Amino acid sequence: MHSQSMNRKSPALTHTRYAAVLLAACLIAIFLITPAAAKVYIDINAPSATRVPIIVPPFQNTGSQPDAQKLSKRMASIISTDLEFSGLFRIIDHKLLNKTYLRGVTRNQIKWDSLSVTGAEAIVTGAFSVSNNRVNIELRLFDAVQGRFIMGKKYSGTLKEHRLICHRFASEIFRELTGAPGMFETGIVFVMRTGGNKELYYCDYDGSNQRRLTTYNSLTLSPSFSPDASMLAFTSYRAGNPDLYLMHLAQGRTEKISSKKGINISPDWSPDGKKIALTLSLKDGNSEIYTLDINSRKLERITKHWATDVSPKWSPDGKHMAFVSSRSGNPQIYIFTIANRAVRRITFGKGNYNTSPAWSPRGDRIIYAGMTGGKFNINSISPSGSNYQQLTARQGNNEDPSWSPDGRYITFSSNRTGRSEIYIMRADGTGQKRITFGNNEKYDPTWSPIPGK
Amino acid sequence: MQQTTKTLMMCIFIAALVSSMACSKKQIAPNYAENTGTALELEETDLGAGEFTAIDPSDPILNAIFKNILFNYDQFSLTPQARATLDSIAEWMKSNPRKVLMIEGHCDDRGTNEYNLALGDRRANSAKTYLVQLGVDSARIYTISYGEERPIVNGSSESIWTKNRRGEFKLK
Repeated sequence: MHSQSMNRKSPALTHTRYAAVLLAACLIAIFLITPAAAKVYIDINAPSATRVPIIVPPFQNTGSQPDAQKLSKRMASIISTDLEFSGLFRIIDHKLLNKTYLRGVTRNQIKWDSLSVTGAEAIVTGAFSVSNNRVNIELRLFDAVQGRFIMGKKYSGTLKEHRLICHRFASEIFRELTGAPGMFETGIVFVMRTGGNKELYYCDYDGSNQRRLTTYNSLTLSPSFSPDASMLAFTSYRAGNPDLYLMHLAQGRTEKISSKKGINISPDWSPDGKKIALTLSLKDGNSEIYTLDINSRKLERITKHWATDVSPKWSPDGKHMAFVSSRSGNPQIYIFTIANRAVRRITFGKGNYNTSPAWSPRGDRIIYAGMTGGKFNINSISPSGSNYQQLTARQGNNEDPSWSPDGRYITFSSNRTGRSEIYIMRADGTGQKRITFGNNEKYDPTWSPIPGK
Repeated sequence: MQQTTKTLMMCIFIAALVSSMACSKKQIAPNYAENTGTALELEETDLGAGEFTAIDPSDPILNAIFKNILFNYDQFSLTPQARATLDSIAEWMKSNPRKVLMIEGHCDDRGTNEYNLALGDRRANSAKTYLVQLGVDSARIYTISYGEERPIVNGSSESIWTKNRRGEFKLK
């Protein structure tokens, strides 16, 4: 199994795979035995969790080579940025302290007294060296109030992998302090306009490591990850018609899986990974929702209505689908229940153009793009249609929302700068942050599952 | 060959290392599934879509007949003007029985990409259905939707949106 995956080249997620094998091999030392049942320091479900003040001083270069790449500051900054975005941490400015007080890496070296004046309740320290284009680094997390070691890891990777190493340790910190998995190693696939065409691109969740996945010189749209992150489904006009394709990310190989007359669009993978929900227009352009069994290629019809039905999104338990229908005269969000084939509308009274639903991983919220006053914003509603919240406001058009795999964050596209770019925010709409830059418009981001989960 | 052996050795080493540590940590790599029922990728072009050409702009007669038909916002029903245009197209198609027609359905850029792909498909099919009612053989009419992806004019104003919400015709 491993030999196969090592021998094949993939344009997509190669670094993740490579680094994963590599880090798996090289992650050798765990400094102390982690307590069997880790104490949960932060209750992420508390309505107003106080942010843990944490300090991440620049890491110590303990090697003989000078820190030409400024890894010291950059790696510390990657970890603080991850933690800050989570909304559960407050980053204490390390400049509050004289440099010499921050040289300590291990428990005995840290100047605990001077640290306490900063108000930091936790500290992350790092010591690294660079040789032969590789970085070796030890990272530690301490309880700064009690001066107690919480956990530490040693990583080794290529210089390019320094970001992955930092994201991984940030996820470890998150998991250690909240008991929930961190998602800082996830990525986002989105659509970028290149000339008159649209192609798929990948970037880390924070926008770094951007790279191209397709070069079809065609219109390629609506990427959707398989639950195990091994495949992408999407629509492309590469053979003339809007057909549905599957890309095997490890092998970099693509196959056409639906090319019916009319449209073959808006794929969404079932939670068990066995089916793809999609939209077809088999008769006179009347678009209906179907499921496609990936192994047998058998189609099953879901909706049956003269109006336009499009953009299905499974509930996390696989028992329902949210979708868009114009059966009321304009596009609104509906829920289809598979067991009894019942359909009910959930968006009422808030604008007459509501599309792009996405069901939260916990099942309790549906986010969508809704137009009011001629502008699109990201809204959130419960599956019963109650408890409406508007998450973006007064900043251009905001569309194409997609959940992070832990349900704590949302990625979306916005043209608030005059050009459509990819943004991330927390599930309550706070912390909105642009993650893509450059001259080309970007659309339709989809957040990857947590690798290996 | 040597490379393969080397890689294999390395993999065995890593696999052993990984399994020896399996209990102490989670699997990090994405769990890439074994392939199931997959075929080699073939380049494939739908000739039905590929060979159509736009109406020659230097031909005044054809241009007068194959005018774009326009649609109201979020609608796919045919306006009286659209019907009049399609009436002329139907006559031409009947007197040029070897010609095949492609109807492209387009939308303005307001709204959502996926919904607009469905809407454009409906617009193209509205026009096709009408032509078939007028006696044009349905086998001579192809449709495709480009949703909001191929605007005639870029920009955001009612006059621009009006031009972009259209059915466009190609022949072969």
